[in-house]
Amino acid sequence: METPLYLEERSLVKRFSGPWPLIINTLFIMALFYASWWIFQDPRGIMRMYTPFVGYMWCRWLLVVMIWIAYIFDFWPFSRSWLNNTHPVLKGVLLTTLTVAVFAIVLKVFFETILGDYAIAYFSPERLTKEGIVEFYALEYSAQAILMFAAIASWLSPAWVVAMEGAPWEKLPQPIKGFSIFILTFFLSVIFYFVFYHSNMGILFDPWQKFAAVTPPWWENFAGTVHGNFNIAWIMCCTVIVWMHETIWERYPFSMIQTPWIRRMASFFGIIAIAIALSFFLYFAQELIWGEAIRGTRRDAAPDWRWLHVGEMAIFWLLPTLYMHFYLKNGFNGYSKTINILLRTVVSVVAAIVLYYVYYKTSHLFLGTQKGFSHPQQFPMIPLIWFINVMLINYWFMDGWPGWRLAAAGEVVKAHPVHEKTVLTASFYRGALGGTIGGIAVYFAVIYFLPYMGKVLTIF
Amino acid sequence: MSTENENVKRRDFLKGAVTGLGFGTLATMGVFSYSPMRSFFLPEVERKMTDFGTCKSIKITNISETSWFDNATLMGDMKGAGGLLVNQYVYNWPPFGDGTGLAKGSYEKGIAKIKHLLPNKLEEAWKIVEANSVNPQNAGGFAALIEIERLDGVKKKYLLDSGWSYDWMDKSFQREGIDKMLANGEIEALILSHEHFDHFFGLPVTMKYAPNIKIIIPEGFYKEGLQYIKDSGHKGELMVHKTGKNDIEPGLCAIVFDVPIICRVFGEQSLFANVQGKGLVSISGCCHQGIIQFISTAKKELKYDNDQMYGMYGGLHISPFDDWDPKYDDLVIGLKKWDFKSIGCNHCTGLLTARKFVAAGYPVVQGTARNRSKSKVYLGNGDTITFG
Repeated sequence: METPLYLEERSLVKRFSGPWPLIINTLFIMALFYASWWIFQDPRGIMRMYTPFVGYMWCRWLLVVMIWIAYIFDFWPFSRSWLNNTHPVLKGVLLTTLTVAVFAIVLKVFFETILGDYAIAYFSPERLTKEGIVEFYALEYSAQAILMFAAIASWLSPAWVVAMEGAPWEKLPQPIKGFSIFILTFFLSVIFYFVFYHSNMGILFDPWQKFAAVTPPWWENFAGTVHGNFNIAWIMCCTVIVWMHETIWERYPFSMIQTPWIRRMASFFGIIAIAIALSFFLYFAQELIWGEAIRGTRRDAAPDWRWLHVGEMAIFWLLPTLYMHFYLKNGFNGYSKTINILLRTVVSVVAAIVLYYVYYKTSHLFLGTQKGFSHPQQFPMIPLIWFINVMLINYWFMDGWPGWRLAAAGEVVKAHPVHEKTVLTASFYRGALGGTIGGIAVYFAVIYFLPYMGKVLTIF
Repeated sequence: MSTENENVKRRDFLKGAVTGLGFGTLATMGVFSYSPMRSFFLPEVERKMTDFGTCKSIKITNISETSWFDNATLMGDMKGAGGLLVNQYVYNWPPFGDGTGLAKGSYEKGIAKIKHLLPNKLEEAWKIVEANSVNPQNAGGFAALIEIERLDGVKKKYLLDSGWSYDWMDKSFQREGIDKMLANGEIEALILSHEHFDHFFGLPVTMKYAPNIKIIIPEGFYKEGLQYIKDSGHKGELMVHKTGKNDIEPGLCAIVFDVPIICRVFGEQSLFANVQGKGLVSISGCCHQGIIQFISTAKKELKYDNDQMYGMYGGLHISPFDDWDPKYDDLVIGLKKWDFKSIGCNHCTGLLTARKFVAAGYPVVQGTARNRSKSKVYLGNGDTITFG
């Protein structure tokens, strides 16, 4: 018997009527974000971890560990009773502390010691310093490699739960299930890291480490750059699409597939296909607005930055999507499932464009960063993921406190998910054909108007 | 019954249509967006071919390219202060040290200690600076003298940047005779490439000899920088170049880029000279916009002899701290197609980059490694290069 995740099982109810829970929680997460940003990340603040890679590494890894706790281990070793009866603030503090502690151990033991001291030198800042790299860059290089591992894990870890449905261990109890998925996804992350990023680190040092890594990297001719940002682009899109699939898309359309193994494989690889399509489109969008990239340039004209910005744009989409899912219960629920999904997608894309515009127009006024698109040491993913982390702490660990609370037993009758209709009728196929033609038309309309939109929405 | 069937059909059709809409959009994204067919939709790049004149030759004297003497010390400061995004005025670097230690300073507190001594009592000011600043002995600075020979043989001089340390820059100016040129009014203007500490904080040294000199800055200076120009004792004209092309004299123009730069600096201007019969020469302080960005802008905007990128001089901001990133390899690889005939790089180009340029077969002009420059692999302090 498959046990539902705690996050699926629990019911949250509003603690106040009207829009107050939404307003209170929005203010709460914004305050928490800004206070924690100032303490840990802000270049004007206290700890100033936004060097940038050290802060970047931490925010990516905290996200991964939270996914481990909530999705892979389903809050094990904490019991359901503890989760249901402990005050949300205490739960938030304890689980966040656990998150930080787990990453501190992973960082020091796994990366810096086991890998850095006994296998691959660039994971250890001390070893790099001993080899003659300036201490600052030794830390930055090492953090860069470790954070890229997190980028891959933040896609694969949730993907195995939401796309592969935890197979083949979905019916096992915790912690067997958790450790099995953890070991597999960690193992896959190691392989993916070597294939998609190790070469980037191999050419970070002079001379190119040609006997230890493939140099120049295999993607050079296709991507127009030797930089690993090419892989960051589609991997970040994978991370974003996993959450689209899980939240506002309600696992549609793959949920229509009744045979579990086909559904799982289709979901897992379908997410990758959608992510690659999205990454190509977002790269093209930049070409349409800023012109073709020129190899060897710096900043917003460089192919490596354009690929990085693909991932950044994807994260701009993820933030409003998660907000809509957590605090607006997906926003649209009154129509048929497909219409709900369409409306949510359109609204989240519009919200992402607005957020993008507002971020680049104003963030330098309060984040301690600089205006402009492509400062080589600035990554909008850092504040955006930091904000997402704060939302996850609030929604996953604190049950939406202070605006929401756990429902008491019997207080809420959970609606059972409606089973997808399996028989696809001729009407469906006719609609799908028309829709596909419409989708192609929408695509070309978008790329036709994008240059004009770019001019209208000029930020700098 | 039939109405119900119709409803079911309509629902199924709608479901199919929305599913197809998503599929069609995503599939076209995947198939078309990165295919060669996409070039049909890309904007045509039009070359404006703006004529900004021609000069006979251009000579550059490297007054100082050693902005700091020890990378580890500078990067230790940056690490201790909180990284590359920290505002340069809070570091407590010279000359704005207030004695409170790393990353606890401000322009106002620092300048208050020396303002009364600027620009004439620089030795006295520097002693105060040394007592109150973080690692003052590590400060050097970047400055270059540009001598342009017009087509009629008349020569004009411009000073590019004013370095960092008062002590080092004053000695460097004296070594190359810049002090006398400034005092005699031989130099037309001081062109400040950008607001960074190593190009700008030594401004009082120029003011000591020529307080009435015209200063040209790119837009983007912060209020501290604008105040420092006044506090340094400047009494002449201050010209602010706007983003884009700005003419200086026939055959010499500046292009301002609105680029965000480390240590909270924004905007940089670099120069182009069109040398008769040779082609375009780029002259940069740090070139934070990127050298290929700079020259590809020139290709789009400017008309120049032989349609040839002929030479370059200055900092190219590639590996200033002997750091590296694969995108710099893209630059080393990508520079080949521009076919430069003479490369006089130094300063923030980084020794590692210069070595990679040499290994790639580029015509890098070697230096003499005098006056505390570290290597002969590129043009050092006191070295000169002439184009034309």
